[in-house]
Amino acid sequence: MSIDKQQGEGAEVLLMGNEAIARGALEAGVQVAAGYPGTPSSEIIETLSRYAEPGKLYVEWSANEKVAMEVAAAASFSGLRSLCVMKQNGVNVASDFLLHLVGSGTRGGMLLVSCDDPGALSSVNEGESRHFARLMEIPLLEPADFQEAKEMTLWAFTLSEEIRNIVMVRSVTRMSHASGNVVLGALPPSRGKAEFLCDGKVSDPERGPMISAPVVEKHRLQQEKIRKAATIFETSPFNAYAGPERPELLIITSSACRLYSNEAVSLLAAEGRVGILKLGTTWPIPPAYVKKHLMATEKVLIVEEVLPFLEEQVKILAAEQVREIGFKTFYGKNDGTLPMSGELNPDLVAAAIGRILGIAPPAIPAVYGEKLRMYAGLVPRREQTFCPGCPHRAAYWSIREALQRDGRNGFVCGDIGCYAMAVLFQAAGFHTAKTLHAMGSGIGLASGFGKLGSFGMDQPVLAVCGDSTFYHAAIPALINAVHQNANVIFLVLDNSGTAMTGFQSHPGLAVNAMGDAVPMVDIAAICGAMGVKVVSGDPFALRETRETLNQLMEEGGGVKVLILKQSCALSPEKKARKQYLMRVDEHLCRGDACGCNRLCTRIFRCPGLLWDREKGKAQIDEVICAGCGVCSGICPAEAIRCEEAPLS
Amino acid sequence: MKRNERESGQAEKESVPGGQKELEEEVLRAGLCTGCGACVNLCPYQASYRDRTVTLHHCDLTRGSCYAFCPRTPADLDALQQKLYVGADLTPEVGAVSGFFITRAADETIRRQAQHGGTVSALIALALREGLIDAAVLTGEGERLLPRGITVGDPETAARLGKSRFVVSPTVAEFNRVSRTDCLRIGVVATPCQALALAKMRAQPVADTESGIEKLRLVVGLFCGWALSWRNLTALLEERMDLAAITGMDIPPSRYHTLDVYTGAGTNRISLDEVNSCVRESCRSCGDMTAEFSDLSVGSARLPEGWETARFWNQVIVRTKPGSDLLDLARRKGVLEFREVPAGNLEKLKAASLNKKRTAASV
Repeated sequence: MSIDKQQGEGAEVLLMGNEAIARGALEAGVQVAAGYPGTPSSEIIETLSRYAEPGKLYVEWSANEKVAMEVAAAASFSGLRSLCVMKQNGVNVASDFLLHLVGSGTRGGMLLVSCDDPGALSSVNEGESRHFARLMEIPLLEPADFQEAKEMTLWAFTLSEEIRNIVMVRSVTRMSHASGNVVLGALPPSRGKAEFLCDGKVSDPERGPMISAPVVEKHRLQQEKIRKAATIFETSPFNAYAGPERPELLIITSSACRLYSNEAVSLLAAEGRVGILKLGTTWPIPPAYVKKHLMATEKVLIVEEVLPFLEEQVKILAAEQVREIGFKTFYGKNDGTLPMSGELNPDLVAAAIGRILGIAPPAIPAVYGEKLRMYAGLVPRREQTFCPGCPHRAAYWSIREALQRDGRNGFVCGDIGCYAMAVLFQAAGFHTAKTLHAMGSGIGLASGFGKLGSFGMDQPVLAVCGDSTFYHAAIPALINAVHQNANVIFLVLDNSGTAMTGFQSHPGLAVNAMGDAVPMVDIAAICGAMGVKVVSGDPFALRETRETLNQLMEEGGGVKVLILKQSCALSPEKKARKQYLMRVDEHLCRGDACGCNRLCTRIFRCPGLLWDREKGKAQIDEVICAGCGVCSGICPAEAIRCEEAPLS
Repeated sequence: MKRNERESGQAEKESVPGGQKELEEEVLRAGLCTGCGACVNLCPYQASYRDRTVTLHHCDLTRGSCYAFCPRTPADLDALQQKLYVGADLTPEVGAVSGFFITRAADETIRRQAQHGGTVSALIALALREGLIDAAVLTGEGERLLPRGITVGDPETAARLGKSRFVVSPTVAEFNRVSRTDCLRIGVVATPCQALALAKMRAQPVADTESGIEKLRLVVGLFCGWALSWRNLTALLEERMDLAAITGMDIPPSRYHTLDVYTGAGTNRISLDEVNSCVRESCRSCGDMTAEFSDLSVGSARLPEGWETARFWNQVIVRTKPGSDLLDLARRKGVLEFREVPAGNLEKLKAASLNKKRTAASV
């Protein structure tokens, strides 16, 4: 991480977008920060957690995004500056609270930072959180570079306090995870103490209770606030125009798309013809400011990710002002000039500009093609799968074997975590997992599937979820399944951390985001309290796990919980520590002959196993083998041998 | 057997190559799997679960032991019989017959614990005691009437495991397992399909697999009309009784048309019409009633005194020299009692067997 406490005002440092956002919050004197891990947002809370100090900054990984927003709101209600952070679909989770929060308003400056993932690089959706700003009627800011990410975050607290409502800052993967130079500002002295003033009237925003009623009156006040924000945005330094006075084509853009637009214009050498209006305040757009720029051109291209959010606002404005600004030709998502799904990039934007202005994009030099072909051949073909030593591979192996034995076409409802790869990639889940939706939806869907017996369905229904997902959203669905007596086997794949996003803490762990000792909330005890059968096991014990699963499937009758606990292979306590030294006894290895046919490298496919083509035998890749020993349990010839590794 | 008979007429006399894919298409998904276990414990891809054979993972070999050993994959059964039996002994109805007897265990304890005359239990116990075999692969009872293949080394235990099971056990899977251990001489008590699988192993070992088939010294075949699906049978029985209370089952001669289920509280008679719906699909097309690929085959007897006497005796078809030697030894040691075979018994058995072949061929 590039920022540390030693670096003060004026220092220019290389920061990741998420670090710049965290730095902006620190420079604003943020006192409470809460979030739920999710790529590409996680580094913001992680960075802030390093600055946590009693009485100065409290940071937590909350059980889910809604709780994170509630925790941050409580701080705001008590006069503190607070921040809640999540990825795009986290906003969906928080949105029910958000709808009511915008009605009650806030006190201390409060931000919602959402990091979207256009192109779904680390998501199973490319949902856009920007629409929540319009839906909830709160101001939206979108930084377009790293310095701005810091400045915008810093300023957003002031805006929030000015309009007494939450302000949304939206980043995208390419902003959050790319890095750039940022000049640091000063860190402020500690701010005031927390006190929730609540002895006033409902109508008193300073001392009244924090509620969204009377609804219509509060709603009207909220809309006043948003009009105020629009006025403030008219002169915001986060909106900027660069280009000729009367551009042939005006690009209106925001966020990382500003960088793509700059690059595209430069690629086409069209600086004299194209102007770029970069908006940082993207809801509501400042009408007079945008109108002024619309008047200077005839053609408008809106470049944004993912849906036509700015485009629709600009078109509405243009329609309202048509008498003054005249007719314009709009290009963007709606007319297909730019794709409405996936990420944009400079090439796509350049092609769009080229089509509009009749400029042929410069041809890619032939040498690139040659190099591409040359290097592509050098890259080994790799499939996405679980890491060597991953407990999920072992768990799914047992699930596969149990389902095949059972023979009734049972299936697994997947969920969000590394174990979701079982749905996406066949080598990871051995064709067992068949659904994948939101966090906690595995057990929710299973609760529904598990009630279809009376319609003739006799397929065993399994659901998986990780430990962090369990606390996040699985509990209500599990309670439903129990209460409705759905026929479900619920597997908690407990790898002792929010592993996929980088081992953030969760309620099942004894340490919180700040490194403090905290009470652990026990999954088995929670499930046990629901009154269902709970079995605990080790996913590395393949036979035991499989037999338990088959027994649970035979038993049927309501919800059964199987908790498979084994730390992630990359967890700090396991990493670089092998329990076993593995080797293949070549004399015993049956290789590709009948009786084995490369079960380990063809079906099990742990990346730590190699196939020696010349010898026709399996091998261990000692460099990446994690030494879990699981593969020795699948070898039919007992050729994969485990030796207890010496303590390092 | 329909498939086998059809295939046997073809010019191609060698085994047809096939792997898991063909096994799945032609046997498992076609409903022809007998659950014998011949394809299990050879590799990590097939397993027995309950009374079914299941595919755990996909194997892409085009020639596999699983397919070669399966009693339901194409094979030239005539050639197999010619290879394993004396040509002059072969009959079209019941396979090789070098002798035909009516016997029972001399030891009344064995008879009480076994089905009918206890001949099989007595012979296996004898073979173990005399060292003709050092391991016997038998069918033991698991939970809820679910049979399982087990290997027994001591004669006393073997003598206790003689009850008829009406659900197939993966006996050949157990043979596959135990033949790769340090046992040296193995005897197997086998249903007709299991005996055929063992015969196919004897005749066509797949070179790549370390096989223990040479350790097979004795196959005692069991007469078999059909086996029942475990799931269906337990469902049928659980409607009427507590499974744990069942002490045995039997099918009296055909005029009774019942499955008799013995419990501590008495005998439950279930009409064969109801039982018929529980019969494994694969059994309907099987034409082997007398385990033609055994060393000797044992089943229930017919006697002029009627069922109440006959049910404590067995009929035995001796097919090979090892079978004949074992029966002679049993006679010399007084392990079995013999009585005169009533005139026409073998002919009646042949007629019944032929009837099953005809029914199977029409499926």
